[in-house]
This record gives sequence, C-alpha cells and structure tokens, in this order.
Amino acid sequence: MRVFAAIFCAAALFALPVLAQHGMYLSDSKNPAIGNPEAIAAGTKLFLGSCAGCHGPDGGGGARGPNLVRRSLWHPLSDDNIFQVIRNGVADMPATKLSDDQTWNLVAFIHSLTGPASTNPVPGDAAAGKAIYWGAKAGCANCHSIRGQGGSMGPDLSNIGGSRPLAVIRESVVEPAKDLYYLGNEAATVELKSGQTLQGVAKNRSNYSLQLVDTKGTLHLIQMRDVKKLILSDTTPMPTDYAKRLSRAEIRDLLAYLAKQDIRGKESAQ
Amino acid sequence: MIRSTLFALLLAGAACAQVTHEEIAKGAGENWLTYAGTYAGWRYSPLQQINAANVRNVVPKWVYHVPGARGLQTSPIVYQGVIYVTAPNSIYALDGRTGRLIWRYADPRAKANGANRGAAIWQDKVYFTTTDNYLVALNRHTGALIFNKQYADVAKGTTSTSAPVIAKGKVIVGSSGGDGGMRGFLMALSADTGEELWKTYTIPAKGEKGSETWGDLIDWGGGATWLSGTYDPALNTLYWTTGNPWPDYNGSVRPGDNLYSCSLLALDLDTGKMKWYFQFTPHDTHDWDAQSWPVLLDTEIQGKPRKAVLHANRNGFFYALDRVTGEFLRATPLIDKVTWAKGIDAKGRPIELPNIEPSAEGRWICPSVKGATNWMGQSYNPGTGLLYVLTLEQCGMYFRSSQQPQPMKNFSGGGATEEGGQVVLRALNPKTGLRVWEYPMTGLGRMWTGTVSTAGGVIFSGDDDGNLLALDAKNGKHLWHFNVGEMLTASPVIYSIDGKQYVTIASASAIFTFGLFEPAESITSPVIEIKKK
Repeated sequence: MRVFAAIFCAAALFALPVLAQHGMYLSDSKNPAIGNPEAIAAGTKLFLGSCAGCHGPDGGGGARGPNLVRRSLWHPLSDDNIFQVIRNGVADMPATKLSDDQTWNLVAFIHSLTGPASTNPVPGDAAAGKAIYWGAKAGCANCHSIRGQGGSMGPDLSNIGGSRPLAVIRESVVEPAKDLYYLGNEAATVELKSGQTLQGVAKNRSNYSLQLVDTKGTLHLIQMRDVKKLILSDTTPMPTDYAKRLSRAEIRDLLAYLAKQDIRGKESAQ
Repeated sequence: MIRSTLFALLLAGAACAQVTHEEIAKGAGENWLTYAGTYAGWRYSPLQQINAANVRNVVPKWVYHVPGARGLQTSPIVYQGVIYVTAPNSIYALDGRTGRLIWRYADPRAKANGANRGAAIWQDKVYFTTTDNYLVALNRHTGALIFNKQYADVAKGTTSTSAPVIAKGKVIVGSSGGDGGMRGFLMALSADTGEELWKTYTIPAKGEKGSETWGDLIDWGGGATWLSGTYDPALNTLYWTTGNPWPDYNGSVRPGDNLYSCSLLALDLDTGKMKWYFQFTPHDTHDWDAQSWPVLLDTEIQGKPRKAVLHANRNGFFYALDRVTGEFLRATPLIDKVTWAKGIDAKGRPIELPNIEPSAEGRWICPSVKGATNWMGQSYNPGTGLLYVLTLEQCGMYFRSSQQPQPMKNFSGGGATEEGGQVVLRALNPKTGLRVWEYPMTGLGRMWTGTVSTAGGVIFSGDDDGNLLALDAKNGKHLWHFNVGEMLTASPVIYSIDGKQYVTIASASAIFTFGLFEPAESITSPVIEIKKK
C-alpha cells in the first residue's frame, strides 16, 4: 500500500474532467465591469465586507451560504441572473440596496471566481510555486505532467489554469478526497489469466473491457474475459496531506503556478 | 528511493513502441498510419480476412457517438488497436475492439470555425491542428499535451482543416480559407518541437516569378492546401494540390492564369522548394479547387512505363502526369457532362468554350460548384489495377457580383447554386484513363464520403443515402450495405487487432465500426477487490 501511495502521488484533480462536462460559466452579459480588473477589485472589497460571512472568502461556501464556484459549474446562472439575485435576494439571502455599478462590480468578482484561473489575477509567487511543483517535497511531477514533462499516472496539468477556477484547483490540492470521481483515473492492479500482472490507471473500464495505462506510461487494451482479478482503490491515489506537508504560503505559490498553466497562454512551464 | 526508481521507470516509458518512418512508408496493414493509408495515396489495405466471398457476414461491432459532433470529416488513424478520430478542435482515442473512450483532448477556446479531417502519428505522439492553426502534439497513450505551437495567423484569413502528413519527422500542414481571401501555403514543422522548418507559398509574392499572372489582388490570392497530399520517398517529393484563386467567381479583378492556384505542386521534402508545377484550371472562376489528392503509381501510359501521378479534378477531367518531370501525359473526361471545355489540349491546357464566366444573371455550367469530384477521395487497388473515384454528375448556376472585393469578409465575388445531380462511383483504368465499370447511386448529391479497397477484393464506400456499402472490386457488383441513419461525410479505413479485421467510418455524428459476425460469448466478471487506503 505504501508503494501504491508512492506511485500515485498527486491526483485530486481527478474530479475535474467530470465537472467540466457539466457546463461552463454562462456569460451572456456585455456589461463592461465583467473582466475589468478595477471592477473586480471593487467587487472584492464589497464581497469581503458583505458576502464572505455566508459564502466564504473565496466564494467556496460557508455555514449559511452555498459554494458559488461549484454551484456555477453545475447550474450556471447568467450574469444578469446573478445581478438580480444580489439586487432582490433569494430564499434566506436578503435584498441589497447597492447601486447598479456596485452590483455589477460584485457580479464581476463572482464571475472571476468561476472563470478559468489563468484569466484572473491570482495571489502568490508563480516562480516560487514552480520550484515547489517540480521539487521533491510536493513531488507533483512524479505523477502529473505539464507539456510533456513528468509522470503519466495523474491527469495532465498543461491546461489546468486554462480550464478550472482557482477555488476548484485549491480544493483538489488540499482536499483531494472530497469529491471522488475517478473516471479515467482509477488506480488499478490487474492480474491476467495469463499470469501477467499490470499496475496503473484505468482510463476507462466496463464489465467487458479495460483500458489501462501502466506505470511506464504504456497503454494496454484488456478484455475482461482475460482478467482473473482486478484490484481497485476506494479513494484517490493522491496524497491527502498537502495542507500539512506544505505551508500556506507554499500552497498559495503552487496555486499561482498551476493557475498559469494554460494551453492558450504565453507562459510555458519549462 | 522507491520513488526515484519509479520516476526513472516513468521516464523510461517513453522509449516503448514507436511509430517509425518505415512503418508509415510500408503502407496500411494492421495499422492505418497516414491520411490516405499509404504515402502514395492509395487508400488500400492488404488485409483479406473480409473478402468478396464473406463480406455479406459483416455486422456492426460498436458505435461511438462523438459528443456534439455534426458533419464529421475525420479519417481515423489506427495504431496497435487504438483509433484516433478528430472533430473540430478535439481528438478522441478509442479502443478499436470495443469503441470505449481512452482519452480525449479538446481546445474549446480555439478561434475560427471549420471541419477537421484527421490526425497524424509519429513515434509516441499523435498530432492534429486546431481551426486557428495550432499544431497539437499529444502522448498517444495518455492524451497528455507534449506541445502546441501556432504556425499561422488566423487574422490573415488562414484556418486549418486538413490532417497533417508526417514524413521523416517533418509534419506537413496545409492552409484553408481560400474562399475568403488569404495566401495559401504548405509548411513543414518539426515533429519533435513544432518549430517551422520551411514554408512554401502557393501564390507568389509581388515581383516573384508567376506574379505576372495576377493583378493587384495577388496578396489575397487563395490557393489553399486544404486536403492532405502524398509523398514519394524514393524521389523525396511531396505532391500537393492547391485550391481556387480568390475572389472565386469574379475573374475580371485578377487577369491572367493566377499561378499557382488550381494546380499540382511537386515540392522537395527537405527544403520545400518547388520542383515543378502543373496548373489544371488556369484562371478558374468556378471554385474548382484541384483538391483530391494526387495518386502516385508506376504504370504504363500510352505504351511507356511511367512514374505517374494521377489526379481526378473537380473541373471534370481525369489527369495523368509524369511525377518526375511534371510532363502532361493525358486527360480523359471524368463525368459525362462537361460544358465549359471541349477537352484538354496536348500541353494539358483546357480548350475552353465561349460564355463560361459567371455573370450577373447567372450561367448554367457543368460540372457544378461541387465539381466532378471533390475531397472524398479515391482508392487504387493493385489487385484489380483499378482506381475507384466518387464522381458527381451535376450542373449549376454561377453568378458574378460586381462588388469591390474585400478579403476576410466572407466575400467570394459571386455565388453558385447546384441542382439535382447523381453520385456515381467509377472504376477507372489508370493505363487508359477510361471507365471500366460504374455504380450509380440514388440520393441528392449531398454526400462527402470516399472509398477504401482491400486485397480481399472489396471496395468499401459511403453512398449518397447514408449507407456504408461493399462492392466487388472487380466489377462493381453490390455485396453488402448498412444504413448508418445519417449522411456520411468522411471516408472509411481498415485495420485489424487480435487477428480480426475491422472497417470503420465516421458518419455525421458517430464512429461506426464493423467486422465479421461471431456468436456472442458470455463474459464472467473477474474477482474485484477494493483496497482501503
């Protein structure tokens, strides 16, 4: 089991491909506040003063208010709808008396929370985060690759900042077992009837066939009728101790580096 | 210690089985490693497990519905049982036996619209291009990104639709967008890094040789290279065709032959230097891109052995040239009704009839704007010695607009309509250019599907009603068909895994795969153990 944990090191991002299929932030608004750094900054102040108490400081949810980031991924609201919710309230959430401009600043901030991390200002030192990512303490590259460098057991992170909101990346690093979606990344050991044993990740699996990438990164197409025994893990193979293993500043910097990984961005990992 | 050892193993993994130049050059077999199956453009498979005698026992094996797909044009690449299929800005790796998804890669932020006609493979990477001209290289096992590099600017009217062709570590990419004003080119990029190795424009720059065949619009002259070409390893020469001059229907603003539009170019693989060119349709005004790929064949023509290149052209004629020198050898009619030219003269130039230019009122011309054939593609079968080409008997009205041409505004200097029409699959004798047999189809002339033929004496082709069909390669006799329930807009390929032969084709929205009937087998689940962390 120790060996297993060592093979599969950093993998909470397993949850993400599933999330991504359920829609992206729906931006139908032409309001100039959306994407405007000044509006987002003004919205941040308003949010921390009036909204964070219920929704959490990064919109990740609190005791009384829902997680705005995840919610928007599953059931996206348009910018105009968010505007109306802030203006009029909903369920236990009270109405506000903010001006139109202030309300749009808030919408711009919420939009930035749910947009890809690479499109938003992100705190932290990406250069320091790069050293953490590729270093032994975090060991991310043992399992994950960026632009062809690194391991092949965990999901490719070349576009992680270009496809995921910061809050989702953060959650995947510090609470990798929170959402257990392993489609495409299930840790598996396969004992074949031929006597051969293969270890790796199941990219896909049904009652009839299994598509496995082994620890050397080689793909195997396996028929289940040829399998004697299949050993699976009940949780993520990614270490769950990053919140302890890394300091808060190190996590912030690591996130800043991950946020920059964008296949459409100018920043390259190497 | 354990970790560092494992890390070393992970890195060593990159050294496992790799697709080599020799494997691609060998041509199709178990694998299908380049767009047309062979560098020579034959779309031919030596597999014969499925043959003319047993093809009636072919049944569907699996279907993969490509999420959100419409009008798929992908020609699959197959290696070691894995099928790589593309949709615009995305690529999917599927298990060739079961159709199960292994991985997918999507780039939804790509700018520009357009089709995608397929992937390429080299060593341990698969490649495809985005609509906005990024070459994307992925780990073929995992789909992880190795690199993506933009090689052309979409703001200059260039997009990408064709499958790259890889020869000796050079990724050859073409250019699309010729109907809206752009300057066509062919490029070679490094398969290892995506760096540009050479770029050859299909339209000369002002002042260069050939520029005297244009007016002022030469900068936006078109000549796109929107379909994969072919390659002769012995001559180290690429054979690529070019599209229409721009604006498509208004020739008065571009006086001259408009070189090198509607042409076949022979380029040196190492340098991109043009060895020779041959223009099929000088000063085209009917959007007759010379698009279908050139078929390379050593055969006897007019009694002499030739290293020939064959080309079925949209303009209604079937050409044979010498591929070493570019010498015109012969042209024969590809379809029954051609009303714009009396024939092709001894030098290869069309003998044009009067009143063929599009006009404000419209001109009725055959073939239609879709052409006598298009990009569906053809196959050559060395067993029968025949070339199989999908042809379209159709006429249409061509209009000219007197508006000032504006590049990149979806302006083509006029327009065209087509009416009625019939698709006919024709078997041609490369030695004579004459028809040996034909298979007329019902339908509305809307298909965009092509052929593949095998050593088993079978041609698989799409028809104009959404059927994949099998014909006897010798005589065109119908042997089998299967209705996929929607239009076919791509061409089939053949592969095998575990000694079983398959034929696979993209329909408008899904990948359909067929093989010989086998009785179902009961599958017992293995012991499954769930380990606690």
